Amino acid sequence: MKFLPYLLKNVARHKLRNLFTMLSIGVSLFLVTLLYAYLDFQEELGKQSADYRRLVVTHVEGLTALMPLAVVDRIRALPGVKAAMPLSWFGGLYQDDKLPFAQFATDPMQCMDVWTEYRLPPEQLLAWQQDRTGCVVGNVIAEKRGWKLGDRIVLKGTIYDCNLELTVRGIYTGPDSGDPEMLWFHYSYFDELLKARRARAAGRIGTVFVKVADEANLADVARRIDERFASSDTPLRAMTEQAFVQSFTEMVGNVQAFIQNTALAVVFALVCVAANAMAMSLRERVREVAVLKAIGFQRRTILGLVLGEAMLIALAGGIIGVGSVKLLTTFVDPSVAGIPGLTRFYVPWNSAFTGLLLAVGVGLASGVIPAVRAANLSVVDGLRRVV
Amino acid sequence: MDKLGDGLRELVTGPDRWLNLGLLAGGFMVLALLTLAARALLRIPLKYTLRSLRARWVSSLMTLFGAALVVWASVLAFGLAAGLDHTLQVSSDPLDLLALRKGATAETSSIIEESLARQIATLPGIATNQRGQPLCSPELVVVVNKPRRTGGGHANVLVRGVTPVARELRPNFRLIAGRLPRTGLREAMTSPSMAGRFYGCRLGESLEVWGSQFRIVGLFTCGESAAESEVWTDLKVLGQTSKRPNLLSSVQLRAASPSAMAVLKDRLVNDEQFALKAVTEAEYFAEQAVAGLAIKIVGRIISFFLTIGACFAVANTMFGAVASRAREIGTLRALGFSRSNILAAFLIESLVLAMLGGLLGCLATLPLNGLSTGTANWQTFSEITFAFRFGPKVLLQGAALSVLMGLIGGMLPALRAVLMNTVEALREV
Repeated sequence: MKFLPYLLKNVARHKLRNLFTMLSIGVSLFLVTLLYAYLDFQEELGKQSADYRRLVVTHVEGLTALMPLAVVDRIRALPGVKAAMPLSWFGGLYQDDKLPFAQFATDPMQCMDVWTEYRLPPEQLLAWQQDRTGCVVGNVIAEKRGWKLGDRIVLKGTIYDCNLELTVRGIYTGPDSGDPEMLWFHYSYFDELLKARRARAAGRIGTVFVKVADEANLADVARRIDERFASSDTPLRAMTEQAFVQSFTEMVGNVQAFIQNTALAVVFALVCVAANAMAMSLRERVREVAVLKAIGFQRRTILGLVLGEAMLIALAGGIIGVGSVKLLTTFVDPSVAGIPGLTRFYVPWNSAFTGLLLAVGVGLASGVIPAVRAANLSVVDGLRRVV
Repeated sequence: MDKLGDGLRELVTGPDRWLNLGLLAGGFMVLALLTLAARALLRIPLKYTLRSLRARWVSSLMTLFGAALVVWASVLAFGLAAGLDHTLQVSSDPLDLLALRKGATAETSSIIEESLARQIATLPGIATNQRGQPLCSPELVVVVNKPRRTGGGHANVLVRGVTPVARELRPNFRLIAGRLPRTGLREAMTSPSMAGRFYGCRLGESLEVWGSQFRIVGLFTCGESAAESEVWTDLKVLGQTSKRPNLLSSVQLRAASPSAMAVLKDRLVNDEQFALKAVTEAEYFAEQAVAGLAIKIVGRIISFFLTIGACFAVANTMFGAVASRAREIGTLRALGFSRSNILAAFLIESLVLAMLGGLLGCLATLPLNGLSTGTANWQTFSEITFAFRFGPKVLLQGAALSVLMGLIGGMLPALRAVLMNTVEALREV
């Protein structure tokens, strides 16, 4: 610790060079942290949903195969099931503009019992339940679009051949991990439109969300659902909500490997860059290191001093990079980047720490060769050398 | 190592071999020409620049590696986006029309009655094949969730039920192994890249679709188009097994002439009897290009940040070079070399450094050329398989990045070298 002022002085000696090294590390770690945060973010979403004790039931052939509405009642009757509601993705267009918000047909009588983490004032819930064409929207999307209670929303169907004419009856709020940009409407209203058009999808739903009773085991209930429908006309598959979220990440493909490979290349490049700068700095200080050794500093201390300096520079770079990424994602809505599905993106703290740790690692790795060289420097050669 | 071998083979035997090799040769020629031009323009010989780089070889090599890795990562991301674009590009006839349910954005969300398709086939203006049949192909797509062979996880696979005329509408269709599936049997064919990516898709294996086993009897290619992400089987059999009897997803047809196409399109869209959505394949895939958007944005973000980072690294090395050669620079000035000569010499030095790195980075991506991967196409809600493509455009982008690094990174140090006071520089130890 007592060497800290000396280290700081050394870092400050080559302001421009060390600033460039720091910025180089900062900019690159900004990127690496951002990429890793994406992976961590997905994982955290999945983990949080585990607390809500929910199962998602789909047709065994996946989300695109629909199942009859009647399965909801049959599932609700199974032991261990507290509440169950249909949830069908509508995927409509609002004002002919593709909005990245989810629209679901569901059952307003069960909705708040299944999605227990969302809050909707009781009088609004009642108003929604009583209005067949009513809908409930998230507080964030309501703010973005300027929707108020009583506003009319028309959604144009793309997957289904019908348009919805809805009235906002409620605005819900949710936890940070929730999606504040959803729109929920009555399945019965949607179904009526489908039936009027004799659509194939009439009377059929995409998923059933199941809330499992506190005393029941999630896996047991899932197995019970699977077995109940295994030999029926519509075999079903129940999975935890976490697994359901995971399946979407899987669909995007092998992003993880791509991100990890890119990050590896970047970190390796950084070690090259930082080691180069450190070696340059020390080459200019050969005589000084020799003097330090001559007046009795031990090799261990010299080794530590050089490594410390390298780590200090890298850590400063890391703080710049990781700090700016954290600040940026806190204050800027990530949906401006135009990447769909990232409306709730944030940088989890553990990815920020990984970024800083990576910075220290880069510093350590970049300092090794110059440090060993300095420590092994022959005093006589060093003193004699004219730079 | 296998991938490396395959990649190198792909490089010299693949469809882009002449472009790839030509680009490499072209790159070297441009470099050589630049050298000649520089020699004519610059009074300070290039040999001096190259020797300076060699004199500080550790430092030069480190910077070179840094630049190479940055270019490598960027080109990788560009190549991914280029591959996806290529797959979604249209290789079909401009006279082809795709009829979908009105309002549907993808085949997977479209439903058409088979009886309607039969009426479409009788419309005038549809091209016919040698046997006089109309080139009008009723097709049904079903999405099934299947485990991936590599990389783990499940993905949605698109299974397409077709009649023989479907192949005639896809001019690039080639059966490369096995045979065609027989009508009325639970037999299917798919592409070699699907065979490598999904369980049950290899020749002789069976793929389960809605509880029925479909035996893979053939492998086909289709000009690297989106069809290579699909499994093809008989239309009737697929309709029965997936409980969609007498239903279709789309009707593809070819018009006899451009004027006939306009008439057909008008009829399909505006006639009450049909009231469908009729788009050309180009229009259809343009709507799906969103699938590549995320990859493109990520690629640009990666290359943007890494290039900035690399600029700083190059600047550091060049500052070091300028600082340690202060006396040399002073001597050059004293000998009568002008400021612009010295500026050019240092800029060339950083350019050579960055471009060598860029070349190395570009070369290092080539082994991955043709390596196939997949991502979700949210429009069809199924996986689209595509391959990395490091074509001339992508490699040129990489080269441009390295030039940028060299120029921006070298500018400040070169200016410092130029602005040095000659007398003081000479006095420096």
